[in-house]
Amino acid sequence: MPATERVRLARLAEEAVAATKGVAASVGRTGVWATPDGGRTIPGVVAIALPQGRVEIALHVDAIWPPPPLTRVADTLRDRLVRSAQAAGLGDRLGPVAVSFHDVRAPGEGA
Amino acid sequence: MADAGTTSTGEQSHELSTQKGQTSIADAVVTKVAGLAAREVPGVHDLGGGAARAVGSVSQRVGLGDQRSQGVSVEVGQREAAVDLTLVIDYGESIPQVAEAVREQVIKRVEGITGLSVTEVNIGVNDLYFPGEEQPEEETRVS
Repeated sequence: MPATERVRLARLAEEAVAATKGVAASVGRTGVWATPDGGRTIPGVVAIALPQGRVEIALHVDAIWPPPPLTRVADTLRDRLVRSAQAAGLGDRLGPVAVSFHDVRAPGEGA
Repeated sequence: MADAGTTSTGEQSHELSTQKGQTSIADAVVTKVAGLAAREVPGVHDLGGGAARAVGSVSQRVGLGDQRSQGVSVEVGQREAAVDLTLVIDYGESIPQVAEAVREQVIKRVEGITGLSVTEVNIGVNDLYFPGEEQPEEETRVS
């Protein structure tokens, strides 16, 4: 079964987070910041369908100590996601992209 | 091109909007940045008052606490932040010099990482640390 555009955008968002230095995906204390994708979940990404076939993406991340300036990291994440969505033919489907930093992971501190 | 959006996280945070979208930074992030920055300064042994350190130690052992945030209190606005710190300093260090170094480091880190302007860093020195002061670990009954 092919993935929906919403899930495809969520996967691209996951890749954008993984490719960006200084951040790691966060599912939150209750694990709600995730998107179901078949038999697994995409952590730290909430993808919500909007009217007119667009998809809003919320990226939930922790910063890794010592992080670069967070606004710059957020813009890098957005730029990456926009580029990869365009490359995948989903550029017109991508809606608002919000980035939320929830915590800082210190050296030796896990997720 | 993606436009700005919002996310409700159910926790205290401040929003930073740029032309490319909205970024939310939780107050816990500012708190932790300030705490880690203070610990980077030589002469700082620990953060927090005696009770906070005792509770923090216990809660960390059971996996609930985060000692990196103890002894730190922040007030975060849209553009500015104020930080209150409680420090334990190594005996023999100059308290004014260590306090000033902590102030500079906290301002540098918080402003550099979060983009917030730090209006004040208030420092209270709660205790002095002497080497050998720690309670010895309880001997384990099994090897």
